[in-house]
Amino acid sequence: MPAIVVEGLERAFDDMLAVQGVDLAVDEGEIYGFLGPNGAGKTTTVRMLTTLLLPTGGRAAVAGHDVVKEARAVRASIGVALQEAALDPLMTGRELIRLQATLQGIPTAEGRRRADDLLERVDLVAAADRRIGAYSGGMQRRLDLAAALVHEPRVLFLDEPTTGLDPVSRKTIWEEVRALNDEGTTVFLTTQYLEEADQLADNVGIIDRGRIVAEGTPESLKAEIGNPHVRLALAEGSIAQAEEVCRRIGKLLPPKDARTVLVEVENGSADIPRVVRALDEAGVEVGSLDLVNPTLDDVFVEKTGHHLEREEAADAGQEPAEA
Amino acid sequence: MVRRQDLATIAALVGRAKNELIRVPGAAIPGVLAPTIFFLGLNGVFGNLTQLTGFTTDSYASFLVAVSLLQGAGFTGAATGVNLARDIEGGWLDRLLASPAPRWVLLSGMVLSASLRAFIPATAVLLVAFAIGAHWPGLDGLLIAYAMVAATAAIAACYSSALALRYRTQAAAPLMQAGMLALILLTTAYAPLALMQGWLQDIAEVNPMTQVVDAVRQGFVGGITWDGTWPGILALAGMLTILGALSLRGMRRTAA
Amino acid sequence: MSGLAVNLRVIRALGIRSIRQTFRRPQLIAPIVVFPTLLLAIQTGGAGGAVNLPGFPPVQSFLQFMLAGAMMQSLMLAANSGGIALAVDIEMGFTDRLFAAPISRYAVVLGRLAGTAALGVAGALWFLAVGLVFGAEIAGGVPGALVAIALTASAAVAIGGIGSAIALRTGKSSIVQGMFPLIFVILFLSTAFFPENLLVEPARTIAAYNPMSFVVEGIREPIVAGLNGTDVLDATIAVLGIGAFSLLLSARALRHRLRTGG
Repeated sequence: MPAIVVEGLERAFDDMLAVQGVDLAVDEGEIYGFLGPNGAGKTTTVRMLTTLLLPTGGRAAVAGHDVVKEARAVRASIGVALQEAALDPLMTGRELIRLQATLQGIPTAEGRRRADDLLERVDLVAAADRRIGAYSGGMQRRLDLAAALVHEPRVLFLDEPTTGLDPVSRKTIWEEVRALNDEGTTVFLTTQYLEEADQLADNVGIIDRGRIVAEGTPESLKAEIGNPHVRLALAEGSIAQAEEVCRRIGKLLPPKDARTVLVEVENGSADIPRVVRALDEAGVEVGSLDLVNPTLDDVFVEKTGHHLEREEAADAGQEPAEA
Repeated sequence: MVRRQDLATIAALVGRAKNELIRVPGAAIPGVLAPTIFFLGLNGVFGNLTQLTGFTTDSYASFLVAVSLLQGAGFTGAATGVNLARDIEGGWLDRLLASPAPRWVLLSGMVLSASLRAFIPATAVLLVAFAIGAHWPGLDGLLIAYAMVAATAAIAACYSSALALRYRTQAAAPLMQAGMLALILLTTAYAPLALMQGWLQDIAEVNPMTQVVDAVRQGFVGGITWDGTWPGILALAGMLTILGALSLRGMRRTAA
Repeated sequence: MSGLAVNLRVIRALGIRSIRQTFRRPQLIAPIVVFPTLLLAIQTGGAGGAVNLPGFPPVQSFLQFMLAGAMMQSLMLAANSGGIALAVDIEMGFTDRLFAAPISRYAVVLGRLAGTAALGVAGALWFLAVGLVFGAEIAGGVPGALVAIALTASAAVAIGGIGSAIALRTGKSSIVQGMFPLIFVILFLSTAFFPENLLVEPARTIAAYNPMSFVVEGIREPIVAGLNGTDVLDATIAVLGIGAFSLLLSARALRHRLRTGG
């Protein structure tokens, strides 16, 4: 039986359809990466699956329980670490995990034992009795993760668990997620970071504007796109000419910025000399040239016509648009 | 049916709420200061109203203390709603809602913590009142006062929680405070019913909180009787039922 | 354009900003209008029989007597709100933006106070209107009302300077907010809500010397008695005195902030 089944899930807010008929299935023991830009519908979907938001259409079941009709049973089976870390700065780390244990119905003595184990697992023993308000961002995320695990859930929901973290803290969270999955926990992970989905997920669902636009393993999705592309950084004034030349060699892809040209090349690195020669003959000055293998961003571009990563850059510093 | 686990959860949530008082320096002070200042100030301003023919006591402090006790309970309960709004804004409530704890258990933890915290300003007001000459109400009068303070704080907590769940922002705080202020002061707060102006007299007659004010007041201005007490108990039970149901409905509809 | 003209433009622009801020956030309006109106209604309805007490000054009604107290309460809360808003600007870094601009530093504070004055006027108009609707007479007529409004606005600026000084010195809105109970202490220890001769000791003695009593009596006189007496003059002197003190405090706090950055 799949750990998560979603059929035609919808959520409307006033006159806006934030999630428009999402279908997906996540097997037991899988890490499912839910990838999309800010405002795509990721957090809204997660909130429905974790019973924090009622769907306005469709149905979903988590750990075998309907999210609407058997909400309590769902909550008993899931662990949740949401986008807002949802921590109380006045509590200590140890107090928080113990409280979470009580909320999950774990008897006091057992709750204390598990809190101690989890604090050790996420390397927060030294800070366990300090107030959460004094924790760094990375420490808060690790604590949030530990609290989500106190009742050994079957399914773990992680909503953008590494957003805002430095690379070292991000890698620590990734290692922990892999370890959990090795122990049999199903993980539903939302992220706007391609690398995160690529590194962690067994299967990836790409969502844009409330709809799943692609689904599969990272390798199969990239293989669908097929060809690598050449990325050219050009001097000002040369773009139009470069595009003219490259159009004769391969298919032009939407550029990420105004000084770049992207052209798909069927034969990979073997096509590079041809590109260089053609540009040289046309007198186009090239700043740099790279061969780029397909990424999930390319999959995103193929399916939606725009970049995921450009939207990340544009949205940098903004609050996530989703509730 | 109340399970042992539900009681453990309620106790844990009350325990968390106490952190605000213990771990934030001076956090208890505003809640104590406000009703105490109002008590002393209003006694100094309106103290000579007892000279009016028909005033039921010669000690304005004794007359006023009941309202100040309930005002303190109202402030404490309103603060619960503000804290809940802050928890909603910060995502903390989601943590509670995503757990299998029943909604009524989550709400009970918040409301019970308000009732217990209300004893702090109540005790401060009583000490000040006795210091400036308010009459001793007897042990029964004191018990009634504390019990009704706790119940009023619970009512205020239910009311302000319902607003917090409806508006999901701390900006609703003035609505929470003004609502409780109006409920408690549109009563026989400053003078006996017979000496009030027409419109306020009409409102005070139908305001259930008037029964509570009079029930708490009776020990300080005279003697305790069952006839003077049961209307207050009934009023509290009625308000708690209605506002409790409203806030529970709000808690259950958070996912809507 | 002369330097003065430029500064006046800046003060006006910042004053408009502070007014907009208040009206765009209902939680800032409530303490200035809603609570004083509620208390006015309740105190008038509950303690209105006080006009029958021996020694109560001759007034048309208790409401007429209480209007000045409500206006005083409103202006003090407006002044406190202005101080809190300035402290929030400091916390957010907005004042750095202003200090980095080629404007007079004092214009930053005066702009905030201009907004407070406008709120004082709005509050005074509101309570005069409420009084008229519920049957209170303004004994001094239109000139009396104008005098009351002018005194209210100038008192708001004078007292607002104290809030600004605290904001500039501490940079913390929580500290300015902590002054809120003090406002009521000052009001209770004045003649805002009851005549001096009928207050209970020690409130009576304190009220006799409390500068706020002079201010509130100055606002009250045109409403209950007309413009014949000396209370308006006494109130003007009190406002000037408070204003001089608060502006001095603000100037020192501003210089300290600019010198030390905090």
